[in-house]
Amino acid sequence: MQKDIDECSYMEIEKTLIVIPAFNEQHNILKVIRDVQECIPKADILVINDCSVDSTSVKARMAKGVKVLDLPCNLGIGGAVQTGFKYANAMGYHYMVQIDGDGQHIPKEVEKLSNAMEQSGCDMVIGSRFLDIQSYRSTWGRRIGIKVFYLLFRMLINTKITDSTSGFRIYNKKSIEVLSKYYSSDYPEPDAIIVLKKHRLCICEVGVKMREREHGESSITMIKSPYYMAKVILSILLSCTRTRW
Amino acid sequence: MEVRNIDNIHLIGLIFSLTILASVFLMVRQRMLREKYSLVWFLIGFFTLVMSIFKDLMDWFANLIGVYYAPSAFFAILITGAYFLLLNMSVSISGLKTYNKNLTQELGMTKLRLEEVEKKLQSREL
Repeated sequence: MQKDIDECSYMEIEKTLIVIPAFNEQHNILKVIRDVQECIPKADILVINDCSVDSTSVKARMAKGVKVLDLPCNLGIGGAVQTGFKYANAMGYHYMVQIDGDGQHIPKEVEKLSNAMEQSGCDMVIGSRFLDIQSYRSTWGRRIGIKVFYLLFRMLINTKITDSTSGFRIYNKKSIEVLSKYYSSDYPEPDAIIVLKKHRLCICEVGVKMREREHGESSITMIKSPYYMAKVILSILLSCTRTRW
Repeated sequence: MEVRNIDNIHLIGLIFSLTILASVFLMVRQRMLREKYSLVWFLIGFFTLVMSIFKDLMDWFANLIGVYYAPSAFFAILITGAYFLLLNMSVSISGLKTYNKNLTQELGMTKLRLEEVEKKLQSREL
């Protein structure tokens, strides 16, 4: 037990919802849940099973005290996470943290996010792989994409975001409320930055460690990535011109 | 613009457009097709009907917009119409996707809350 305390200092944030979106993650999901429960025992955990065809839901239910929300149709990552925002908003949670079901995000690092939120007073804190840790291995295609997004965000909203595609984020009540209404379906992470900025909310980044994937494949493959880039850039630009919400 | 001797292709056009009009009419009556979407199909039906009855109309129109070969004017009109129809369908599908997403999310949340209530009830009964 002593070892646990050393490994992850217990977080004190009240009324926090940890949202774990999962699609076909039967090998990872239980481990992710156990990790989260160990590090953040006070938070409620909501697993959003995006209509998986494997036994993700069953595996998630094996952990005690976890809420498992089974979506009846596959909505994709955006729709699944938005369900989390809607739930958090309806149940009056003060904070929401997104941790992906593939085990890439390290629950221990949530503390950095919440500390950064407390210190900066921002409404959303993004956990960035590239801010102060240079070791994260990545394909060159992905690196170019991230650079493009960085320049785009600096140009459009005058904010330096090094890891706009990271889903490892903490949100407060204000941003939960906004995103429960407006969260794009397909590749929502970069788009959400614009949405929040347009609502005059504050965004900042903090450097975190992330793991390499253990099982499964990334949703963005080499063939799909130009398509991904085009779609995201289009949605960012369109979001920027939007005046009515 | 007089009705001239009807040749085969005009007869086919006539039958085709009457079939469209009749089937759209029947589908709306049986509630297979919404009134909102039937309007554009009625327009298409009437357009082909008029075109197959008054042959000269097409020549006149092609002349007006400066197309030498009258049938290509006919195609141009139909393709433009089809584009608008497709755009309209994309808008409808986007709307449906949003409705569908919202319903799916609500249903998922409702199921979760129902499960929780059932669990609470069970523990109370025991």
